[in-house]
Amino acid sequence: MKKSLIYIEQNHFQNSMDLLEVVRQVYDAEEYETYGVSFGASCDEAEGLFDYLIEVPDQRIRSYDVINMTNVLEELQGFYHFDSILFPATQLGRMLAPRTAMRLHVGLVADVTAIRHKNGFVEMVRPAFSGKIMAGIVNRNRVPLMMSVRQNVFSYQGASQKQTEKIKYSPIRIEDRKIELIEVREKEKTRDIRESEILISGGGGTGRYFPKLKHLADELNAQVSASRKTVDSGTAPRSMQVGQSGKTVSTKLYMALGISGSLQHMEGLKNVENIVSVNTNRDAPICSRSDIVVEGDAEEFIERLTDKIKWEKQSRE
Amino acid sequence: MKIMCLVKFTPDVENFIYDYEKNVLVRENVRMILNPDDASALAFALKIKNRRPETSIEIITMAPQSVIPHMEDLLRLKVDKATLISDKLYVGSDTYITSRILGKYLSSVAYDCILTGTGAMDGDTSHVPSQLGELLNICQMSNVVEIEEETFGSESAVIEVDEERNFAKYKICMPAILSLQKVRNYKLPYIKYEDLERNVKDQITIIDNETLGFESNQVGISGSLTQVSGTFVKIMEKKDKRVVRNDSEGINTVYQFLRDKGFV
Ligand SMILES: Cc1cc2nc3c(=O)[nH]c(=O)nc-3n(C[C@H](O)[C@H](O)[C@H](O)COP(=O)(O)OP(=O)(O)OC[C@H]3O[C@@H](n4cnc5c(N)ncnc54)[C@H](O)[C@@H]3O)c2cc1C
Ligand SMILES: Nc1ncnc2c1ncn2[C@@H]1O[C@H](COP(=O)(O)O)[C@@H](O)[C@H]1O
Repeated sequence: MKKSLIYIEQNHFQNSMDLLEVVRQVYDAEEYETYGVSFGASCDEAEGLFDYLIEVPDQRIRSYDVINMTNVLEELQGFYHFDSILFPATQLGRMLAPRTAMRLHVGLVADVTAIRHKNGFVEMVRPAFSGKIMAGIVNRNRVPLMMSVRQNVFSYQGASQKQTEKIKYSPIRIEDRKIELIEVREKEKTRDIRESEILISGGGGTGRYFPKLKHLADELNAQVSASRKTVDSGTAPRSMQVGQSGKTVSTKLYMALGISGSLQHMEGLKNVENIVSVNTNRDAPICSRSDIVVEGDAEEFIERLTDKIKWEKQSRE
Repeated sequence: MKIMCLVKFTPDVENFIYDYEKNVLVRENVRMILNPDDASALAFALKIKNRRPETSIEIITMAPQSVIPHMEDLLRLKVDKATLISDKLYVGSDTYITSRILGKYLSSVAYDCILTGTGAMDGDTSHVPSQLGELLNICQMSNVVEIEEETFGSESAVIEVDEERNFAKYKICMPAILSLQKVRNYKLPYIKYEDLERNVKDQITIIDNETLGFESNQVGISGSLTQVSGTFVKIMEKKDKRVVRNDSEGINTVYQFLRDKGFV
């Protein structure tokens, strides 16, 4: 029986649950048990999904204290001998995973986006070179198999029907904390682009008309996103960036205005259902992935479509 | 105060050319650049040195000797010392081994702080800084966007971190590894005109395995714990695109599409 441990990050709960799908793909037909570990608050929502839930309610361990969290994971590995340990590739997960892998003397694969099986090995697929190349990585026969998993790529569909056994773990070794959180400041109150069903996205071709995208977005109850070029030029904040170095989105509709569709941009659109692109060049790479290509100027298009939607709304009232 | 800056020169991936006919990346004549996150980290170090001239900055890279001209350019920005860790044995090291090699050197020298980038453009694993934190048994923080200069150099520094939804401020014990994100407030200066041709050769130290003393099977491809089993270019799924013009007929087509799909 294989044993897999998933690090559950409270602030990224759904992403942590989705790692159950990765475990399922790793073990395929083999039998396996799933363990979840969470620090601080208990995670009752995960009950029924895991075989075991390990809670570490020790007040001395803060949820950002990577060193002490690593100490705990090392102790847990000593007790349970997991065959694999998975982390969501969040800010915290991407610091905790490498530290733990080094502590356990095993290799680590970063930001995994697909699992394949190749000659009896588990091959972890991840983008490299800003998403221009995909690389398959195998772990050299060491246990546990460790990876961080890119957010929003896998989704777990299993029902919660397991008899979850809860374990309270009291750590043996806790060090003095070397880091202290002083304050948290929320970013400007925009919704996360990943939560939007429709995105109106602007690239190099929208130039200084980028703010106008908001008009169209408002009509469609959508949000505005951007390509890397728009972000690098300072026109849009980084939180809006779609693509390998930005966010992976899974919207129903993606309207790409003046975006050429470099491979690293397309990497962020893997799960997008429909694409409408507006481009002066009908042969731009994104066009071959689009349902409709509007050949022409993006600014003009925004005005026309916004007017059209407004007009149709009025005439129906 | 002594600052160590870990730098990495990467191919300028933004300007890779993709051959859609053959489905390959054109990799000839690809320019090497300083990884953008690392440039921000070094820019911060130079800013500190500007304010406190007694500061000394050492850049460290593990790379083939072909990066020497790039290191020289950084030395001409008033970096004090450059260390190149280079040995044929190290070729093909994964992050685990890269960290061990860098860590072995770093644990043999004195420093007050280590600055790195958060992620590198090529591999983009962000493993090396955290793994070094483990090896050196010090704190490490990724996606740092600001370091409060007045606190830098004291027992603990105050840093601001981009945590996706929030910005968080932490007080972190020094020495620590602070990994910066590419940010606009830390930009590398240009080389001063009089320094353009300055001979900086004697500021470069090359270290090989003679000094670091790893067994040959501990490093490089044979020592690595992960292995690239293959690379491929993603073939994009093609759709039967409909091309319309940006006129009322075209707009009608788009509108009809939005209606059919239930978006309006
Ligand atoms: C396609 C591909 C996929 C890969 N996938 C993985 C993988 O999943 N897991 C894995 O373990 N390895 C992987 N590797 C190997 C990995 O890229 C290399 O080990 C590389 O040296 C580490 O670089 P990075 O970009 O990942 O480092 P990061 O950890 O992203 O680098 C962050 C910072 O660390 C510092 N730094 C990093 N390397 C050096 C150096 N050599 N000298 C000085 N400072 C440095 C720099 O400040 C840099 O900005 C992969 C390699 C390729 C080509
Ligand atoms: N005014 C425009 N309206 C729509 N698309 C444009 C416009 N100008 C350029 N483009 C396209 O926008 C994409 C991004 O261009 P670039 O500025 O090179 O990033 C390219 O595919 C161009 O063909």
